[in-house]
Amino acid sequence: MLHEVKKQRLTEEARLNKLKKDKAKIKTYRALTEEVLKGKIERQYSKHNLDLTTKLIDLNPEFYTIWNYRREIFSKLFEDGVLDKKETLEKDLGFSMEQLKRFPKCYWIWNHRVWCLLQLQSINEANWMYEFGIASKLLEMDSRNFHGWYYRRFVVENMENNMKIRHKDDSQQQIYQYLSINIKEYQYTTAKISKNISNFSAWHNRSKLIPKIYDNLKLLSDTTAFPSIRHIFQSPYHILMHELNYIKTGIYMDPDDTSVWLYLHWLLLDPFFVEYLKPESSDGLSSYMDILKSQLQVVMEVNALEKEESSTGEDNIWCLKSILIINDVLEKETGDNSILNTKLEILEKLIRLDPLRKGRYLDYRNGAAKLYSL
Amino acid sequence: MEEVNKQDTPAQKSLDKMKHVEFVQSLDSKVSRQSYEYWISEHLRMNGLYWGLTALATMDKLDALPSSEVIAFVMSCWNENTGGFGAFPQHDAHILSTLSALQILILYDRLESLGDERKNKVKNFILGLQLPNGAFQGDSFGEVDTRFVYTAIQSLALLGELSKEVIDRATDFILKCTNFDGAFGRAPGAESHAAQVFTSLATLAIANNLHLIDQSKLGSWLSERQVLPSGGLNGRPEKLPDVCYSWWVLSSLALIDKIHWINSEYLESFILSCQDLESGGFSDRSGNQPDVFHTCFAITGLSLIQGKKHGLKAIDPVYCLPSEISANIKKWPVDYS
Repeated sequence: MLHEVKKQRLTEEARLNKLKKDKAKIKTYRALTEEVLKGKIERQYSKHNLDLTTKLIDLNPEFYTIWNYRREIFSKLFEDGVLDKKETLEKDLGFSMEQLKRFPKCYWIWNHRVWCLLQLQSINEANWMYEFGIASKLLEMDSRNFHGWYYRRFVVENMENNMKIRHKDDSQQQIYQYLSINIKEYQYTTAKISKNISNFSAWHNRSKLIPKIYDNLKLLSDTTAFPSIRHIFQSPYHILMHELNYIKTGIYMDPDDTSVWLYLHWLLLDPFFVEYLKPESSDGLSSYMDILKSQLQVVMEVNALEKEESSTGEDNIWCLKSILIINDVLEKETGDNSILNTKLEILEKLIRLDPLRKGRYLDYRNGAAKLYSL
Repeated sequence: MEEVNKQDTPAQKSLDKMKHVEFVQSLDSKVSRQSYEYWISEHLRMNGLYWGLTALATMDKLDALPSSEVIAFVMSCWNENTGGFGAFPQHDAHILSTLSALQILILYDRLESLGDERKNKVKNFILGLQLPNGAFQGDSFGEVDTRFVYTAIQSLALLGELSKEVIDRATDFILKCTNFDGAFGRAPGAESHAAQVFTSLATLAIANNLHLIDQSKLGSWLSERQVLPSGGLNGRPEKLPDVCYSWWVLSSLALIDKIHWINSEYLESFILSCQDLESGGFSDRSGNQPDVFHTCFAITGLSLIQGKKHGLKAIDPVYCLPSEISANIKKWPVDYS
C-alpha cells in the first residue's frame, strides 16, 4: 500500500546499484527473519531473542508477527522476574515512539503502544499525562492523522477512568476532574482550528465534546467552577449562539471550506440543540425558528459577497447547499408551502453549478430522496 | 468551480488490461524477488494475493496465476494452534489475512478444500475474537476497529456460519460508530472515514440491517467525497483524492443505491489517469508508484461504474468479489432458515 510515493525512474546505473545494495539487504533481512521466527516457534523467550525482535522491527515495523512475539517474550520474562515490568515497558514506549516518528500511520506500532500502556495501567504505573503530551506532539506533526486523534481519545478515556477510581468516594470531585479534562480538550480543538480552519478532525472532536461538557456541568454543584467557559455552557442555546458566532469568521473567510459548513449543519440540525430549542425555549430566549432565519440571513449575505467577487457572478455552492438545508427545515417546521419554490430554485442552480452531484439534486427535486431524515 | 466549468473533461483513455495482468504477474517473479521491497512485504502477502487475484478475476483473467500454487500457498498459511490464517507461512493468524484466505479459496470455488475439521477451527477462531460490546478484535492482542467487524462477519458469511447472536451484537457496535455527518468511524467517537463507511455499511448489508441508518444523510456525505479538478474521491473532508476510495466510496454508494449521486464520467477519467502505462498497475494518484492494493480497488471501482464498457466482470459491493461468485454465498436471513 504505497501512498504519495513518486514513481521512480532509475537509470540503468542506478538500477544496477540498487540491485547490488538490495542483495546485501535481503541477505541480512532473511537471515534475521529466519532466526527470529525459529525462536518464536521454539518458544524461546530470552533477552537475546528480545534484542533480535528489536533489530527486525527496526528494519520492518509492519511485521506484526514479530510485535506479537515481542509481547510474548515480555510476558514470560515479567512472569519469571527476569525483567522489571515498569522499567521495560517504559523503555518500550520510547522504542515505539521512535518507530512512530518514522511510520506515523502504521497500525501495528500504535497497537503496541496501547498494549504497553494497558500493561502499565494494570500495575498502576501508566503515566497518562505524559501520553497526553505525546498525542499532542504527534498531532503537531500531522494535524489530520486519524491514528493520532484516536490515540488522544484513548488517552483521555483512560485519564477519565483513573479519575473515577481515584475519587470513587467523592462524585463531585469526579465530575470536576472529568470536566477539567474535557474542557481542555475543547480548548485544544479551538487551538487546532485557529491554526487551520480546514482541520475537520478537530471540528469532529468538538462536536463530541460539547454535549459531554454540558451534561457534566449540570451535575456539578459548585456553580463558580470553570468561570472562563461557564457562560458558554449555560444551555444548548448559549452554546449554539457561541459556536455560531465562532464559525462566522470562518464562513466569511473561506466559504469553499467544507469543514465549517459540516459543523454548521451539525449545530442547526442535531437533536442536542433542536430538542432544547423547540418549540419555544423555556427561558423565553429566541426560538429555533429565529435562529434558523438569522443563520439564513448570514449565509445569504456571504453568498451575495461571493457573487460580487466572483468573475462569473455565480452563487457560491456551499452557501447554496446551506441555504437549501435551512429552507428545508424551515419548510418542515412551519409548513409554509411557499418555501418549496425557493428550494426548487436553489436546486436548479446547484444542478448547474455543481454537476458532480447533479444526480443527488435531481433526486431531491423529484422527491426520490430527502435531504435529511430529521 | 468557475474554472472547472470552462475546463474540458480530461481525454478519455482506455483500460490497459494486458499491462495490468502483467503487473500482477510480475509481483512474484524472478525480478521482483531481487528487490528488498518484495521481502519486507511478506506480512501482507495473503492480502496482496487477494488484491491481485480480485483484480485479475474482475478482468476475467484469473488463470493468469497458477491456481494450484496459489491454493497451496493459502493452505500453508493456516495456523493450527489458533485456527486462523496468517499472511505468510509461520506468521501469526489475524482476522485480516483470514478473510483474504477465504476469499481466495472462494474465488477458485475451493472452500471445501478446507475440510470440516479445519473449517470448524477457522469458525471458532473468528467467533473467539468477538468482544462483549459486539466489536471484533483483529487477534488476541486487542486492537479494535470496524474493519475487523467486517472482516469477521464476511468470513463467517463465506463459511455459511452466521448467527443471530453474532449479527445483532456486531450491528449494535457498528451503529455506535455513527457520527453526526451520517458516516462511520473506526470505533465509537472516531472521525468518519470512507473506508470505515464501507466496512460498516457492508457489515450492515450482510446482516440485512441497512434500514437502520439514515441513508440520505450518508449518501450526501459520500457524494461530497468527489472533488475537483481531478474528479477523484477522497476519504475525508479536505483531504486529497486517492484511487482506492473509488472502491470504498462507490461500493458504499452502491449499497444504498446512490451511485448516481457522483459524476461517473469524471471519476472514470480520474481512475484511468492513475494507470501506470509503462509497468501496468495503478497508483494512488497519477504519476506515483503503482501497487497491487490500488490496482485492485481501481479496477473493482471502475467495474461498479463502467464495467461493461471496459469489459470487466460485475463486482458485488458487499463482498468485493465477482457477483457470479458471491451469488453462491448463503445470505442472511433467508438462506439460514
